[in-house]
Amino acid sequence: MPFPPTSKPAGRRPAMKAGAVSATAMMAPALILVGVFILIPAIVAVIGSFFDFSMTSANWTYVGGANYRRAATDPLFWLAISNNIFIVVGSVISQVGGGAILAAILDRGIRRGGVFYRTIIFMPVVISSIAVAFVWMLILDPNVGPLNAVVKALGLPTPKLGWLGDPSISLWMLLLIAAWQNVGFQMMLILAGLQAIPKEHYEAASLDGARGLKAFWYITLPGIRNVLVLATLITVIGGFKVFDLVFVTTGGGPANATQVLGTYTYTQAFSFGNMGYANAMAVVLLVTAALLGWLQVRLSRRG
Amino acid sequence: MRFRLNGEVRFIASALLGATILTTPALAEDIVIKMWTLDNNGYKEFISEAAESFKATHPNVSIEHQIFPGDPYKTALKVALVGSDGPDVFFNWAGDRATQLVKDKLALDITDYGDVPGGFAKVLPQGLLDSFRYDGRLYGVATDAVTKYVFYDKAYFAEHKLEIPKTLGELGGLCKAIRQIDPDTIPMPLGNKTRWKAIHWMTMLNERAMGVAATAADYDLSRPADQLYTDPGYAKAFQALVDLQDAGCFEDAPNATEYAIADSMFITRASPMEYCGSWCTSALDQAGFTDYGFFRLPVMEGGKGNPDANFLVPEGYQVSAKTAHPQEAVEWLSFLVSDEQALKFAEKVQFLPSNTRLIDKAEGVPQSFKDIASEVATVKEGVNVLDALLEATVADAYMNATVEVLNRTLTPEAAVGKVREAALAVQAKK
Repeated sequence: MPFPPTSKPAGRRPAMKAGAVSATAMMAPALILVGVFILIPAIVAVIGSFFDFSMTSANWTYVGGANYRRAATDPLFWLAISNNIFIVVGSVISQVGGGAILAAILDRGIRRGGVFYRTIIFMPVVISSIAVAFVWMLILDPNVGPLNAVVKALGLPTPKLGWLGDPSISLWMLLLIAAWQNVGFQMMLILAGLQAIPKEHYEAASLDGARGLKAFWYITLPGIRNVLVLATLITVIGGFKVFDLVFVTTGGGPANATQVLGTYTYTQAFSFGNMGYANAMAVVLLVTAALLGWLQVRLSRRG
Repeated sequence: MRFRLNGEVRFIASALLGATILTTPALAEDIVIKMWTLDNNGYKEFISEAAESFKATHPNVSIEHQIFPGDPYKTALKVALVGSDGPDVFFNWAGDRATQLVKDKLALDITDYGDVPGGFAKVLPQGLLDSFRYDGRLYGVATDAVTKYVFYDKAYFAEHKLEIPKTLGELGGLCKAIRQIDPDTIPMPLGNKTRWKAIHWMTMLNERAMGVAATAADYDLSRPADQLYTDPGYAKAFQALVDLQDAGCFEDAPNATEYAIADSMFITRASPMEYCGSWCTSALDQAGFTDYGFFRLPVMEGGKGNPDANFLVPEGYQVSAKTAHPQEAVEWLSFLVSDEQALKFAEKVQFLPSNTRLIDKAEGVPQSFKDIASEVATVKEGVNVLDALLEATVADAYMNATVEVLNRTLTPEAAVGKVREAALAVQAKK
């Protein structure tokens, strides 16, 4: 017996078309914004990285891969990269690690005032980085800053060249400021993850004799694994992109000691007028951030 | 009674009306001159009043004045000049920054516009005209000049019977004496966090060690590569800075101290001296501190500098090559440096005007301002500041080297080596 011919329900194709049109229309504003403010500048940066030009020069001179070769042999470029890596590693430890500890304390260690402490710790996150930098510049000032006064009052020595003027400690100070500002955000992320773990899991584990570290290892850690991956990747990307904090507090100094890729790119572009070279460094930063972003998406999907 | 126009009358009336409409804009085309300046005390008021006065001779010209803080201005200006909505006239420092805009064809050659009766070229002295000259043509109008002195607290000096030093060695001795009076008093705070304060010191210390002529070929990179920055005077100048630091002149952490904090130490009389610009008189005046004196940075023992030379940095305005109104723009700048406006500029802004013909008649300015104006008149040789004069990467290397000398992470000789390295790299590219 022949089957009756199958056919798509009447009107489905036009409905699909209409859906696609409305989806495109809804996405269009975002796509246009991304295109104009991210995609096109990124393409121009990639193209510009193969040219030698200044911000005010009318002509661009094609130099092939010279800007990339220059970066490879520029000690300041490598210093900036190593400072970025230092900030990334230090931030993961201080912000994700610190955030995890604070989240654990707020989740289990504190019975009263949890909301109060959470608010206090989270507060710096909502302050602009520029304002944070200015506040800390005052705190760390060697002449009128309160930190020196406190350290002296404790009978401890203060750094002779200043907290931000001593090349051996200025980068550590930047880490401290970044941690102060961002640890609250990581704490909130991890706390949300901790609170999403059903209490029954702990109760069941407890019956099986898994308490304390064992419970943390076998229940808590797997439970917040995705959150930790996300927090780490956000911190890593932020560490590579850091600019405003360094620019305001040290300007990359003293004598380039705290130069990072963002500030060095800015200096080359706007102070020295080497736009092509700055573009090449921006492309390196772009590729690094894109790779990390891709890693973030991949790990999230796997989770 | 109804009045009706016949056809001929209506035609004539229409033609007259049409002609009026067509000719009116040509007679009084509204022109807006967009002007960018730095954010200095009294500047806004001065420009606003000058713009009103300018209308007496240019009723159709309005001045749109926009002000910017120093550091963002340098970047904003470059962006604006390559764009389509930049300023018609803009502030700039004489030196590398101004020259670079000329080379990039962003600054207009205003020689012919200014060399007319009443034009700026007929008013300003040759030396100041030359500060914006490139290849024999004029690309800017110097409106003022800034200079630097060691400002000192007269009452403090009198109380402790301190005397004005005649040499750098004596200046170091003075710092030691002040430290003996009170070890916690910083004799002359430096405030070099943003690096330009110490480069101002180096500008004058280089002069005191070698003189202007001996350094010129290094500064403009015209000296042969094997001799570039090889004069031992450069290391001697760095050593002089170290000696002053050793004498306790500066705060412990000059590279971590904001210049504003250094300024406030002198203004609040916590420190009895500061090497400060002529612009400081305005801030001192506003703070009610008038009992101060000033002296030039003393000469260096055994140095080849000229005692009559002093820090003198012309600054002024350039005209955008893209301006649609070059004539009006230059006429506006010429108006700003006219006798009458230069006097008002001195009174309102308390900067040294490029045209000093009427400076003695200035009212409402502290006596110290007039004294500085008189003192500047005795300067035989102006010394332009290194961060404006040198090519940008060499200037940056110089500033970083100075930071490292103050931090004692570089010796004076090694610091000169870093500067030479940067200069050679730029020279090789040229």
